[in-house]
Amino acid sequence: MNLSWRTASRIAWRETRASTAKFLFVVLAVAAGVGALTGVRGFSQSFRATLTAQSRTIMAADLTARQFLPAAPEQIANLDQLVASGVEHTLIMETVSMGSSAMVPIDSEAATPALMSIKAVDPAQYPYYGTVRLNPPMALKDALENDTVAVASDVLIRLDVKVGDKLHIGRQTMRIAATVVSEPDRMSGTLNVGLRVMMSREAFERTGLMGFGSRGAYRYLFKLAPTAPPVADVRKSIKNALPDSLVADFRESNPIITRGLDRASTFLSMVSLIAMIIGALGVAMAMHAHLQQKMDNIAVIKSLGGTSRDVMGIYTVQTLMLGLLGGVAGVAVGRAIEAIFPILISHYFPMSIQSRWNVDAAAQGIAVGVLTTLLFTLPPLLAIRKVQPALILRRGMPEAKLPWRKRLVETRAALAIAALILAAIGGIASWLAESPRVGGYFVAGLAVSLVLLSLVASFLLQGLKIVLKNFPVRIPVLARQGLANLYRQGNQAQAIMVALGLGVMFTLSVYLVQHSLVAEIVETAPPGMPNVFLIGITPELVEPIQALIANTKGVEGTPEFAPSVAIRITKVNGTPFEQLPTPESGRRFRSGRSVMFADAKPDSIGIVSGAWWKQGETQPVVSVDEEAAQRLRLRTADRIEIEGAGKTVNALVVAIHRVEQMRVGSANEFVFNSAALIGFPATFYGGVRMKSADVGAFERAAYKQFPAVTVINVVEALAILQQVVDQVAVAIRFLSLFAILAGAVILAASVAGTRFRRVREVVILKTLGATRRHAGRIFSVEFLTLGAVSGLLGALLASVFSGLVLNQLLEASYSFDWKVTLLAVALTALLAQASGWLASFRILRQKPMEVLREE
Amino acid sequence: MPHSENIILHAQGITKTIDTGTHRVEILRGIDLSIPAGQFVAIMGASGSGKSTLLGLIAGLDSPTSGRVMIDGVDITGLNEDKLALLRGCKIGFVFQSYQLIPTLTAEENVLLPHELAGGAVAAGLTRARALLRSVGLEDRLDHYPVQLSGGEQQRVALARAFMGKPPILMADEPTGNLDSVNGAHVLDLLISLNEREGTTLILVTHDRVLTSRADRIVTLSDGKVVSDEMQTTVADAAGGESRV
Repeated sequence: MNLSWRTASRIAWRETRASTAKFLFVVLAVAAGVGALTGVRGFSQSFRATLTAQSRTIMAADLTARQFLPAAPEQIANLDQLVASGVEHTLIMETVSMGSSAMVPIDSEAATPALMSIKAVDPAQYPYYGTVRLNPPMALKDALENDTVAVASDVLIRLDVKVGDKLHIGRQTMRIAATVVSEPDRMSGTLNVGLRVMMSREAFERTGLMGFGSRGAYRYLFKLAPTAPPVADVRKSIKNALPDSLVADFRESNPIITRGLDRASTFLSMVSLIAMIIGALGVAMAMHAHLQQKMDNIAVIKSLGGTSRDVMGIYTVQTLMLGLLGGVAGVAVGRAIEAIFPILISHYFPMSIQSRWNVDAAAQGIAVGVLTTLLFTLPPLLAIRKVQPALILRRGMPEAKLPWRKRLVETRAALAIAALILAAIGGIASWLAESPRVGGYFVAGLAVSLVLLSLVASFLLQGLKIVLKNFPVRIPVLARQGLANLYRQGNQAQAIMVALGLGVMFTLSVYLVQHSLVAEIVETAPPGMPNVFLIGITPELVEPIQALIANTKGVEGTPEFAPSVAIRITKVNGTPFEQLPTPESGRRFRSGRSVMFADAKPDSIGIVSGAWWKQGETQPVVSVDEEAAQRLRLRTADRIEIEGAGKTVNALVVAIHRVEQMRVGSANEFVFNSAALIGFPATFYGGVRMKSADVGAFERAAYKQFPAVTVINVVEALAILQQVVDQVAVAIRFLSLFAILAGAVILAASVAGTRFRRVREVVILKTLGATRRHAGRIFSVEFLTLGAVSGLLGALLASVFSGLVLNQLLEASYSFDWKVTLLAVALTALLAQASGWLASFRILRQKPMEVLREE
Repeated sequence: MPHSENIILHAQGITKTIDTGTHRVEILRGIDLSIPAGQFVAIMGASGSGKSTLLGLIAGLDSPTSGRVMIDGVDITGLNEDKLALLRGCKIGFVFQSYQLIPTLTAEENVLLPHELAGGAVAAGLTRARALLRSVGLEDRLDHYPVQLSGGEQQRVALARAFMGKPPILMADEPTGNLDSVNGAHVLDLLISLNEREGTTLILVTHDRVLTSRADRIVTLSDGKVVSDEMQTTVADAAGGESRV
């Protein structure tokens, strides 16, 4: 290069200064893209932080370790060592026991004991996250003294006692200090089958309930200080300290929520990638149009002695300047988005934004802005080499057709550039998504779509030309002119069609994916799921209880009843359980399990592999939960032997399932066919959805009629879970809406970018006697055709792309929706029409002379 | 001077001022011009004298800062864009220095366009369009797109297009400015012969004195004012005069 960078910069700057308006458009396109990218990423990071905070709440800790034996002193010593590195811990003991009212004589009918689910905590430490809400409102440590308890309102109803009364629990008489309105980890605890009674560990010791041989669980909660090692490391340390325990961290507080979170995260990174591509499309369109207009200038510079390298240097500097400007502006926009989004969705849930300025995110945004601008400007930049100085002498002349050898070289060069751009985008995508796999899928989708769109667009345009030329009837001039505009030389119809199609593909994919995703996420905690559970229903009580529910006020939806059978797994594929090489976590299957039977597949589970059995299957078959199957290393066609009530059954594993909906208390780890469990004594779990206010009355009525059945009210606990699910859904919907809007704006801009070439045409038409209506009709035909065709191509590609994303990345299902496809076609046509009009109506009003004078 | 009832174009006290924000540029400073039907008027002047602006104003392509323009008895000063367009469609044909053909249309379609815009029947229009293209020597270029034609050929298509709607007035702005002398002379010959055949009023804007040699009248502008307006009594003028009788 002869020019110094300094000189190139100076010339580039002069040129930028000269046509501020056009450059503003490019800068805005970059800013929109970068803004969408950084905004979406910032928001989703904040959102993820909010969600993980909630996941911690659901667990009341960062990590938990659960085991069925007390930790040995040396194990506790190991845990205490962790404290130094910023890992606090507290112990929760849980057990079930019978409790009764101390307010009535012990032998009276009112003293009938009820099954209690006792939870002993250190109120000074517990809970690490979230709060235990009590009524009357008070601090947990004030409510839990050595001789007091806090109980669920169920207990008051069941035992006919009130706050201040006393209960017999174990060897102790305890005063009820308050009722528990909600506890954060209600859905994460163990042994939740009874009525909640919460007490301090000291009080618990005094009850003597946790004696030798009694059934109880020890749950250690851990809290990480900011200085603590990463969760994964702490997890390992805990596992080493407590080898017999089941360790879980906040990321898996609830498997269903975890899956929702994972999918949401993948989806959110996808949305930000798409935001980037859509922004880049805008940049590409703007820069392409810009350089196209600069061809004359380039020819002039070349004729004055500038080499191709000089010119490329000038325009590369200019591109970098624009990219940088757009990037900086975009980061500011993104920052604003990050701040505004939480306000917009505050109606649905409160979200704290990261208040500190994130330098990394800003730098990333600017880098991505500059990189994409440069990448997408590469083809027109390299085309500078081909600009002949003679261009200024014979403008509008057709390009000479090169000999095939040269054309091949040109094509190869173009392909190499395309490959380079795609590879770079793949790199950026992998970087942003922090996953080469996602980046790979993304770029593959992009490449295939680009090729398909270009081919189809070029084919269609050629076809249109031939059809128009040979059409038997002369098409009215306005329609013909509108259609002819699409294939005219130097028109960017093909480029716009590709850009529009790509934009439609991505934005529609966002919609389709979010649609399926939200549907699945909402389905995990559907609005009508049971919030009151009935435990210990004997078969003969099922019908009377159903009758009671039918007559109860405030019931929503249909009550569900699921059988539960106590069994023990004795052999897997003929090998006795004790000799199985199961991992640590498989050991818990050694003790008895509650399993269920069903003939039709329950709605709450989905098949992962294998197939559900046919109605009337007489051989013993079983479907096993994914996680249990993994722990026991079970696959379909394996056999398990179970034992219970003196019977032994050998069942064939025909399916592996996954729990798709939250269900409390149901034993759906193993689902047998009814024939397999004939003769096993069964009890039933019942679940019913009720209005919160009516639960008390129902509990009283149920106790009166069926004293042996325990009713558990999980309205509050369920509300927390549902809230999380709703938040994920809202955030996904919200971001999708944003991505779709951003897409629409950029697409509109790409159509609007063709404005400059229209000006002259309108003027000529007007000089020849065309009214604004004439010109308007010509544009309408062009815009509508362009929009509809691009919309159709994009929508079809979107179906394929979302199908792939859902199946491969999100493990969710997808089905083609022709209504959405048609709607997309119509909307794209309208969008192209509207944006084309918006950009052109000023042109229509322009005085012809204003344009002609520029000659 | 012909009688007032024969005046096809009348401009009165036209001024045009452009406010660029930093300063005001007075392009035209009060022009009065009356052109009788059938006259060949050449508007001359140096670059920047305001001749193209004047042409734009009397054609209704732009509106004057003050003054009035009457075309065939119609005051166009107050008309909106669409009415102006319709008026141009039936009263004025244009030939520009840079041809201004529609790139998406073939030569034939370009010529046919004014006719179609005016709502004319296609069959009748096609016959005339082909005849016009034949008379400019482009009968074998009907299906060619503008980019496939040379500059001279493009300008000949533009000429054919200008006469398509049988306009009473034809305005030409440096029609040979982009062409070499051979092609330029050819286009000028065609312009004048078509003009004579169609009986059109011709207003030609140029800075080239050679082009004006065949005009009936030469109006010279300088610095936004008419500095001379004289009738020519040349052989060409006499011939032109005869053809109009």
